[in-house]
Amino acid sequence: MNRVRAVLAALAMLALPALPAAAAPLERAALAADLCGDAAAQARGAEGVVRAAADASAEDLRAAGHLLAALAERRLACGSAGALLLDRAGAPDGQDALTGATRPAAEARAPVLGLRQRALVETARAAVALLTAESVAARAAGLTTLERRAGAVPDAVLERARDAESDPGLRASIAGAAQAAALSSADPEKRRTAVAAVAAAPSGASLARLRALRGEPAAASDPAFARALDAGIASVERAVRIGDGLAILYNALSFASILFMAAVGLAIIFGLMGVINLAQGEFIMLGAYATWGVQEAFRHVAPGLLDLYLIAAIPVAFGATALVGIAVEALVLRHLYRRPLMSLLATWAVSLFLVNLVRVAVGTQNLQFAMPPYVSGGVPLYADFVVTWNRLFAILFAAATLALTLVVLRRTPLGLDIRAVTQNRDMAACLGLPTRRIDRLAFGLGSGLAGLAGVALCPIYSVNPGMGSGFVIDAFMVVVLGGVGSLAGTLVAALGIGGANVLIEPLSGAVAAKVIVLVGIILFLQRRPEGLFAARRRR
Amino acid sequence: MGHLTRRGFVGSAALLAAPAIVRSAFAADTVKLGCLFSSSGTMANIEGRLNHVVRMAADEINGRGGVNGRRIEVLTSDPASDWPLYAQIGRQMLQQERVAALFGCWTSVSRKSVLPVVEQNDGLLFYPLHFEGDENSKNVVYVNSPPASSVLPAVDYLMGPDGVGAKRFFMIGSDYVWPRTINKQLKGYWKSKGIPESAWREEYVPFGFSNFQTLVNQVRSFASQPGGQPIVVLTVVGSSIPDFLREFANQGIAATDVPILGLDMVEADLEGLDTGQLVGHLNCWAYLQAAKGERNQRFLADWAAYVKAKGVPFSADTVIDPMVSAYDSVHLWALAAAKAGSFAVPEVRKAFAGLSFADPSGYTLTMTGENNYVSRGVFIGSVNERRGFDVLWQSPDAPKPVPFSPYG
Repeated sequence: MNRVRAVLAALAMLALPALPAAAAPLERAALAADLCGDAAAQARGAEGVVRAAADASAEDLRAAGHLLAALAERRLACGSAGALLLDRAGAPDGQDALTGATRPAAEARAPVLGLRQRALVETARAAVALLTAESVAARAAGLTTLERRAGAVPDAVLERARDAESDPGLRASIAGAAQAAALSSADPEKRRTAVAAVAAAPSGASLARLRALRGEPAAASDPAFARALDAGIASVERAVRIGDGLAILYNALSFASILFMAAVGLAIIFGLMGVINLAQGEFIMLGAYATWGVQEAFRHVAPGLLDLYLIAAIPVAFGATALVGIAVEALVLRHLYRRPLMSLLATWAVSLFLVNLVRVAVGTQNLQFAMPPYVSGGVPLYADFVVTWNRLFAILFAAATLALTLVVLRRTPLGLDIRAVTQNRDMAACLGLPTRRIDRLAFGLGSGLAGLAGVALCPIYSVNPGMGSGFVIDAFMVVVLGGVGSLAGTLVAALGIGGANVLIEPLSGAVAAKVIVLVGIILFLQRRPEGLFAARRRR
Repeated sequence: MGHLTRRGFVGSAALLAAPAIVRSAFAADTVKLGCLFSSSGTMANIEGRLNHVVRMAADEINGRGGVNGRRIEVLTSDPASDWPLYAQIGRQMLQQERVAALFGCWTSVSRKSVLPVVEQNDGLLFYPLHFEGDENSKNVVYVNSPPASSVLPAVDYLMGPDGVGAKRFFMIGSDYVWPRTINKQLKGYWKSKGIPESAWREEYVPFGFSNFQTLVNQVRSFASQPGGQPIVVLTVVGSSIPDFLREFANQGIAATDVPILGLDMVEADLEGLDTGQLVGHLNCWAYLQAAKGERNQRFLADWAAYVKAKGVPFSADTVIDPMVSAYDSVHLWALAAAKAGSFAVPEVRKAFAGLSFADPSGYTLTMTGENNYVSRGVFIGSVNERRGFDVLWQSPDAPKPVPFSPYG
């Protein structure tokens, strides 16, 4: 009985791939009409391209690719006289899809793709790109998309791409994808290689694919296959666990780097002067606005170098916020050093003033940032672990800030003065240190560091006048837990709070995670009010 | 400019920071309308626009000679995204300023805090947001749609053959009444369709939350499990929306893998984002900027001209549903007041029955005497590359609103 079924299955398998070969060749007029049609016609058109991809000429495929791209980007205008390709969405005229003649697009309608059709169009475009794109990168991107839609492409397309591929690395990848596609092949040998190929690229999705196979009759009837399957599942499970662990580590590090950036300036100001600076969040906001200003300047003066604006913004944001900080110190705080409560209220007023000043001057909308490639997107590194560039940028930025702050505090005369005043203000004054001037410079340094945080946050958070308010509380938590005035404490506290948040969040949700961490900090501070690292002070 | 004295400096700082009601020139032959929309805090970027659109509508009506022979005077305020402050300012406007109607609130939690105030003072609050329903006060005009005529059609679309045939749902919301009620109703709806409880997950984040890494990781691992096409039902609000979208795109999830149905997502949330990676995600509202028709073209042109003429600090070419709904609110109120020949709330309320107004969406808004709900059309939008939404689907007519959900 089983044998009969196996034979039948084998016959069915043989019959299925035969179908695409019999499909009609790629007719441009028919494709254009389909893509201009209703949802079912669009789906038929896109699927037709995928089926024909194994045999169609490269020229036909390229033409189909142009049509599909135009449809996906809403540059396809459909009128009574046929389809038009526009240069950009909403253009007044375009080229006829068949003749190439320029015609006006006045009464033509640009169809909107539904999600299901969009997925099919994406698959078809990826198949066309894999077969015809000029650059290796574009072909590889096509392969990545096809791999995500397991089973959507006939084997013949992958085989054609593999045979035509000139780049050896990419050819090996295509061969791997073709092997993986044979998971439900009739040939036991092919199935075992397919399992190995799927297991070689571990992810949550490949785990689900392999697990689904375990219930199939083939796994029960063929012990060698079952063994290969179990081994494959075990290795993918292990890899996914490692990937998830790396993701937790990365998330913790990235959250910690944001906390550290927000808190480091505060640690210096609070440690040195005992001033609770509630405007610290607004200094972060000013840093982000300075970054935006640099971007706009680049746009006007050197549009070719626009990608470098984030780097150029580093000194500008530091300088601008440091100047604002020094101005605030000179105009407001200088008079209030002996009255900590008053200085707290004064910095709060400063924060309100800055928010409203920016709101009146620039507006409340989120600012538009051009994201250079080094801070947008990400790359899958291992299993399900994706490194996102904007977070990596923040982590490296925080590390560089830490190093620079350490150098300033440990290796420069200003740093020596700051440390002296922090440890014993009166004695430092007696020895002839101008403590007021040092206060002012330190306040400028602390504000400038907040401005740097603004640069690092631009690629991660929305930038608007109110963005700073969320950071003050978190920053204070870090500073108080770390121990007042201790850079090492700030670092360890940021890592601890970031890590705790990331570990608790999946278990109990983001709301509870915040509460639990807060309660934890309160309990810790009751045992150890001076924080993790108490600075040595002489009193 | 004379010299900048210290007192002058402090004075101007106080002026900038003052959250009190901003009063325009007072005249005896005017009728006052009050606005409760925040210009600061987490809602500022989207709520702030509504103050200006109410003024624009009032200017339009004043240009035609006002209502019942009186000019409309608009009072604005800044409740600072602080929910109890909405109630406090609302009370002040009703009792001291004697406003004829209030236009305000975005989040449901702010509406719930104003509700007792308008009920005690028998005032009228026009609420321009689509919301969770399950409320029917004679003192609130629900200008936008309850879930039965906004969220459910969109979820139906996604579950159906035209959408993606969604089988599994990841709900992410801000932690307050609107997301929790919407999700409760959705779960009831799915249960009624025989979908097992294992097919959905529910997560909440605090207001203003922005660190979405872990949640997006969870969405990816949810999506890789078997059981059918997953979607994300997003009910976070305010600045959390762009932050979530950015992390989603950066982790490489496309709309064709896991589509997001952003229930509070508007054109303004896409400002500042690179939407190339977000194309295809969905929202559902009673108006989209891409709505066809001459009325919409005229409204867009009017708004652009108004922004330019008055120096409004918002984008001239972004118009969102709540703006149009706020604009509709003022016109509905003016129509009712003219029909009643009075500004007294009970008279105006009686005049709501049978009111209709052709608004920029292309549909005709109607009200019945049954309740204070307004019947609106339904749009499903799809994010495009140009930081806007294309109209993916729209209802043939404006469905009758159902205030109380039978699901949950």
